[in-house]
Amino acid sequence: MSDARHDESDPTDSAGGTDGLADRLRDDLAGLDGYRVALYATILTMTVFFLTPIESGLVTAFKTNPEGISSTLPFAPPPPQFFTLEKWQTAMAALGRGMVNSALYAVPATILSALLGSFAAYGLTQADWRARYKAPVLTMLVAGIFIPYQAVLVPLSQFWGAMPLQELLTPLWVLGVPEAYTGLVELTITHVAYGIPICMVLFRSYYRNVSEEMIEAARLDGATFRRVYRRIVFPISTPMFAVVLIYQFTQIWNDLLFALILVSTESSPAAPVVLILAGLGESMEGQDFALRMAGAFIAALPTLIVYIMFGEEFAEGVAT
Amino acid sequence: MARLELDDVRKVFTDDDGSDIVAVDDVTVDIEDGDFLVLVGPSGCGKSTTLRMVAGLETVTDGDIRLGGRSIVGQKPQDRDIAMVFQSYALYPHMTTRENMSFGLEESTDMADAEIDERVENAADLLDIPELLDRKPSELSGGQQQRVALGRAIVREPEVFLMDEPLSNLDAKLRSQMRTELQRIQEDLGTTTVYVTHDQTEAMTMGDRIAILDGGELQQVGTPLECYHRPANHFVAGFIGEPAMNFFDATVEGDRLVTDRFEYPLTADMREAVEGADGVTLGVRPEDIEVTADGPASDDDEFDTVVDVVEPMGNENAVYLGFEADSRDTFVATVGGMRRIDAGESVVARFPSDAVHLFDAASGDALHNRSLEDAADTEPRI
Repeated sequence: MSDARHDESDPTDSAGGTDGLADRLRDDLAGLDGYRVALYATILTMTVFFLTPIESGLVTAFKTNPEGISSTLPFAPPPPQFFTLEKWQTAMAALGRGMVNSALYAVPATILSALLGSFAAYGLTQADWRARYKAPVLTMLVAGIFIPYQAVLVPLSQFWGAMPLQELLTPLWVLGVPEAYTGLVELTITHVAYGIPICMVLFRSYYRNVSEEMIEAARLDGATFRRVYRRIVFPISTPMFAVVLIYQFTQIWNDLLFALILVSTESSPAAPVVLILAGLGESMEGQDFALRMAGAFIAALPTLIVYIMFGEEFAEGVAT
Repeated sequence: MARLELDDVRKVFTDDDGSDIVAVDDVTVDIEDGDFLVLVGPSGCGKSTTLRMVAGLETVTDGDIRLGGRSIVGQKPQDRDIAMVFQSYALYPHMTTRENMSFGLEESTDMADAEIDERVENAADLLDIPELLDRKPSELSGGQQQRVALGRAIVREPEVFLMDEPLSNLDAKLRSQMRTELQRIQEDLGTTTVYVTHDQTEAMTMGDRIAILDGGELQQVGTPLECYHRPANHFVAGFIGEPAMNFFDATVEGDRLVTDRFEYPLTADMREAVEGADGVTLGVRPEDIEVTADGPASDDDEFDTVVDVVEPMGNENAVYLGFEADSRDTFVATVGGMRRIDAGESVVARFPSDAVHLFDAASGDALHNRSLEDAADTEPRI
């Protein structure tokens, strides 16, 4: 501040100012050794590597098909004569109902698996158990993480085939909900069951670092085990909830395999967005790349929104 | 408010390999209603475990704990009507000071919100923190967090306060300030308090009575000055007092104590006390040793020594004396702060016979304690 004022009052200083700039530039360049050059080059390459597909997808979504796509480079922006918003409108119309269906199971499944995972972790870290009983429960839960989706596909469809879920949900059908929505309830429960182990492990590492004295203080303050969770542990696990919610939501929203097994057809009224997206822009005349790209961006939007919503807590949770 | 009784309380931890570790060994202490008892001992002596058993955070292996006459062993911590202040303060980080302080009342009573608020505000006034009520723990300094932790205990108006080294995270100046304040608050409220510390200064200055533990065993329970002047054994004598008491291993030979450095004459009382003991430990407190510059030693209880190191503390100097120059084997005496004394100087140290303690070398039990001219003067005035 005082330097700046000094500069103004001194007429010879304007020359000095440019000298200063040149000096600074020279200093900066002198600071560039081989290591820094390599570092920046690598960062730049990685950035281009990761952003090119996204950029190409985004520009492609605004191009007409097939003229715009065949006559321009994949990553070049659309020239005015090939620019169109039509693909976005088509994709939106096709995916709309799928987005609603996906949200119908992804949101409850995410929240339930996070909550149940948190309960399980609380019980496994803060409750008094004998290690002898605790260890098998923990082992089974951890093993649950490593069961691949493919391995359970047949048992899963047989299991749901044997479950009288459709009869249990009769009140819904009476209210006019299409019976195909049974598939969404099945998806919800399956994803919750599959999500609990990983959620539990994430919460467990967090709860093990919670101050023991604080929990003891709460118990001495008269809070029961359940109240300690409700009033102390649950509120302080917000960062970990952000991590788990983002992770689980992305996982469930993007999952195609279970949706394919339990709902199976894109023509079903209960078809999730991933099923509809799989067939979007496919036709006898070939693939409509612009439509597929627009569809992909629309389908990915909710996961992005969730990430932005919990981003700050996510960073905090990952750091712990 | 109530009387707290620990009756032969024992805690055994079983290790993974099946071996037992006795953490607390048959501790019996009676704490009168409204008393301030300090549990003191070196780390690992079982004092925190004892406190946690009273709180219900550890189970009791054997023995009984009674509060107001009825046993609380087996009760859950939340049913005991006990408030505890932790060393780490253990504040709830997501709650403001006000919420931290009202949490206990909300959970343990069905008091109306207005009443809870009033209690919280009264406690905040008492602790001089009303302006901090709407801040979160992360916005408070260590000393302020300490006060909030205290406030959280006070609003509960429990039967007993338990404090587990609550001042050890504070800097020295704040610690001595809080020491006085804690005592004032405890006196105002008249709540029975058990205070755990490893710091003998805290024990001496704060307690109505102190209980000294070592290796899980109770060594002595008494007023601070009782423990200071009439230690029950070698351990208590060495633990209470700063700088610590000097000890010399000796054998009894006729009417003299013989150490490898000097011989010390026994009075008739002492002779009676040491009868039958083979080895004896002679103990003398640094402030009781009289250091005079004019040598050489002329009396039986005077010894020629050389000053090894002087630690000036302002109000007094701690002088480390050896029986010969450059001896590593030194003992400590304290002299007035205004007195000039230099390392290397030859001085005469006198152990007055009325200030000498004698302990059995094998068991450590006190055989003879110093004489006190007027015992009434040494009792603390409360």
